[in-house]
Amino acid sequence: MEFGFTSEQEMLRKSAREFAEAEIRPRVRDMDETGKVPMDILDKMAKLGFMGVMIPREYGGLEMGHIARTIVLEEIGRVSAAMANTLQITHLGISPIVTDGTEDQKRRWLPMLARGEKLSTFAVTEPTGGSDVLGIQTTAKREGDEYVINGRKCFISNSHLAGVLGILAKTGEGPKGLTTFVVQSDSPGFRPGREENKFGLRGANTGELILENCRVPKENVLGKEGDGLRIALGTISNVGRPGINAAALGTIRSCLEEAVRYSKQRVLYGKPISELQAVQWNLTDIYMDYEASRLLTYYSAWLRDKGERCDAENAMAKFCATEAAVRCAKKTIDIFGAYGCMMEFAPQRLLRDAELFISGAGTSEIMRLVMIRKVLTLA
Amino acid sequence: MSRVNCIVCLKPVPDPRRWSELALDPITKTLRREGIPSLLNPLDKHALEEALRIKERSGGTVTVISMAPLTANDVLREAIAIGADGAVLLSHKSFAGADTLATSYVLAAAVKKLGEFDLLLCGNQSLDGGTGQVGPEIAEFLGIPHVTYVRRIDVLDRGAVRVERALEYGYMVIEGRMPLVLSVVDEINVPRHISLMRISDAMQAEIPVWTSRDLDIDSGRIGLLGSPTQVADLFLPTIKRRREMITGAPDTVSKLLIQKLRELGVL
Amino acid sequence: MGVSIEMVGCGRKIAEKLKTELAAVLLGHDVKDLADQLVAYGADKVYLAESELLRFYHSEAYAIIIGELAKKHRPEIFLLGSTSTGRDLAPRIAAKLCTGLTADCMSLDVDDKGRLLQVVPAFGGNVMATVICPVHRPQMATVRPGVMKPPEIVGGRHGEVVEIPVDLKEEDLNIRILDVVTEEPRAAPIETADVVVAGGWGVGNTDGWRLIEELARSMDAAVGATRPPVDEKWASEDQLIGQSGKTVRPRLYVGVAISGAMQHLVGVQDSKVIVAINKDPNAPIFKASDFGIVADFRDVVPPLADAIRKLR
Repeated sequence: MEFGFTSEQEMLRKSAREFAEAEIRPRVRDMDETGKVPMDILDKMAKLGFMGVMIPREYGGLEMGHIARTIVLEEIGRVSAAMANTLQITHLGISPIVTDGTEDQKRRWLPMLARGEKLSTFAVTEPTGGSDVLGIQTTAKREGDEYVINGRKCFISNSHLAGVLGILAKTGEGPKGLTTFVVQSDSPGFRPGREENKFGLRGANTGELILENCRVPKENVLGKEGDGLRIALGTISNVGRPGINAAALGTIRSCLEEAVRYSKQRVLYGKPISELQAVQWNLTDIYMDYEASRLLTYYSAWLRDKGERCDAENAMAKFCATEAAVRCAKKTIDIFGAYGCMMEFAPQRLLRDAELFISGAGTSEIMRLVMIRKVLTLA
Repeated sequence: MSRVNCIVCLKPVPDPRRWSELALDPITKTLRREGIPSLLNPLDKHALEEALRIKERSGGTVTVISMAPLTANDVLREAIAIGADGAVLLSHKSFAGADTLATSYVLAAAVKKLGEFDLLLCGNQSLDGGTGQVGPEIAEFLGIPHVTYVRRIDVLDRGAVRVERALEYGYMVIEGRMPLVLSVVDEINVPRHISLMRISDAMQAEIPVWTSRDLDIDSGRIGLLGSPTQVADLFLPTIKRRREMITGAPDTVSKLLIQKLRELGVL
Repeated sequence: MGVSIEMVGCGRKIAEKLKTELAAVLLGHDVKDLADQLVAYGADKVYLAESELLRFYHSEAYAIIIGELAKKHRPEIFLLGSTSTGRDLAPRIAAKLCTGLTADCMSLDVDDKGRLLQVVPAFGGNVMATVICPVHRPQMATVRPGVMKPPEIVGGRHGEVVEIPVDLKEEDLNIRILDVVTEEPRAAPIETADVVVAGGWGVGNTDGWRLIEELARSMDAAVGATRPPVDEKWASEDQLIGQSGKTVRPRLYVGVAISGAMQHLVGVQDSKVIVAINKDPNAPIFKASDFGIVADFRDVVPPLADAIRKLR
């Protein structure tokens, strides 16, 4: 066991943190107030290689593993959960092309995704349910050399930003009846629909996708017809949840720093409140939540980097980190007292951001369902 | 335009957020920097950025050098991750405790060893020492001209540069033949961030460490013993002030303070 | 000639102690009458080099001429003002003469061994350091404008003006000055202000800085800063107070959210009354103030500014 980071990973953390502090920090308030996505910041991130962390070098990516990705997302998330979410969702959309794409498909899409020329996402959820994947109603019918896709996707992150998207649609019935397609935003019959007005992760885009006789070439099928469920669940488990974990970890880190800083400055009864036991217990609880979430998050990333299956660990980290983020944000608000309820101060935003992570990539209830499969093998 | 090769002098400086933890060695009267993380001198970042822009426009290479403890390796790797092509670290216990003259002497010797170059860039002054002396002193040791307070550099075709030199109120426009030493100020550019894409290569880059044996130098002119200036004495200045503390709620202290200042006739 | 006159005053005192001659070096074009002024302020001798080439500060030409003069006349001590010119020229000459140079001295004196005692704030400690250059000559030092008091003109002083021929031509040199553009300073310089309000790192952001400016307005004061606000661009470089900035001598100085590092304190130590507002009770500035208030400046500055306004 080796619990430290390499000096390369430290340099990565330092670079991501410096970028986040210099470029994102000054814009956080504006993003939260207007809900607008700062495209110029995304552009800068693209040029520095943030989007291509998981893309193999031969296609212009950094070919860094999951630990490296987690470091980058944690640092971005520490400054802005919204920005971290936009980034981690792009990684999510890119991932199935890397794992299941043909050489042709990789060459077609990965270089531009590595360069950040186009953002990405992966769309599963529909009004009929996200947790209930088999209940989706979007269909894809083969017509000659094309597939015609019809349906609506909702609560899709990067809906209006993504240029290259993974879409899950029904080509048959049952678990083997789902297929993953790569759909480009300029495909005929594809358009983003309504944009959601979220109370958290503001400055990240979430919305609806409308596919009305959307035509894609047969070359856009990832894997084969019927591989869709495997690809979707695999990518959400291995890339989606870890991405949220890292972003949530950044949020918890931010809670810890805000809470500690404030309690050292705020003077009541003639001394800083950091000397009051009740506040101290809140601070140590936030610290324990941070360290525990950190260890679970990096542990599951480590397992994945070793090539091991770790659906249970990813789910456990997701449950713990996201629930902890909400818990710690509330504790931070409470430490701030009345100031914690003011929009001017960070803690209320941290709570609003944290709550959005609970329902992304599977709710906490679903995480328990994922874990139980492993748990039942333990004795 | 022909290729312009740049050398950039970098200095790691103690992190300003930790300056209150720095201690002075009472015997050598020099600074104990151990345990305080260093960062790249901010103005040197501007110098590196300008070198990279010149490289982008004209081709050529950017080499960074630093005379510092071995921990400066991190700062040099950071410079490579930002875009420098290579780095050299000058590090040896005989270099330690040097004043600006002894420092410039060693840096100039290293530059001579690196071979021909067109521009040597550095930050106009460092965050800690702040003398601004090293740039001009290196130039003198190399026998080439220098310009300080540079806020704009234009490389001209005929082996020359045109620069703007900031003055207290105004500026000068100067043309100089390369090779040249230019000390830059922060108005010159906005430095780029470390590129994630370069980190892997930067961590694997070989950074040679040159000691006093690797340089053509007179050992009597380096380090603490080779420095013409020395700290003779450290002392606490006698400050004769009232040191009267005013306490109370904001309105009370305001009234009290105003009253006292009026009594003294300063308000 | 500002700081140069201050250096003459300082040099005069040292020359008296050492019982030696004080010479001034004057380079320029059409500057002969300045030589007489230098004598009036205390120079025994003025080496004057005039040429069109020297009209503006030309680092190469100035360094060559002065370097030759120094090598020929071998001064014990060589002082320059720490201006953009001085900070450019002094190190070039120091390297040319292989001697030591201490920048931004807060005071200069000589001991009985004839050693120049160069006092600067020590970096890394809230103390002052006395620097010496025991062996190498000349002992060189620079001093910022306004640190030394300007000398009085002594009537009836005589001095020798030695004209140095200038053989240098532009073609011999590697640097050419193409243009010199002067700009008007933006505000009244803080070094002449009667009241100064200065902010430090603890001000936190531009919103906080506005409170500093408001307090200054309420007192008709100039606004000064320590290094971090200048780096953050809440204040400009010419508002910097301290060893590497301006020395101020107001009747009232108010330091807000400033910890009180020596580098800054040396710039305000001649103020008549010093007030410090800082939320850290252990901030060094309190030991150097007449009146101290331990509080978050955001709590105290608005009511203070208000109360002052009501006075008028």
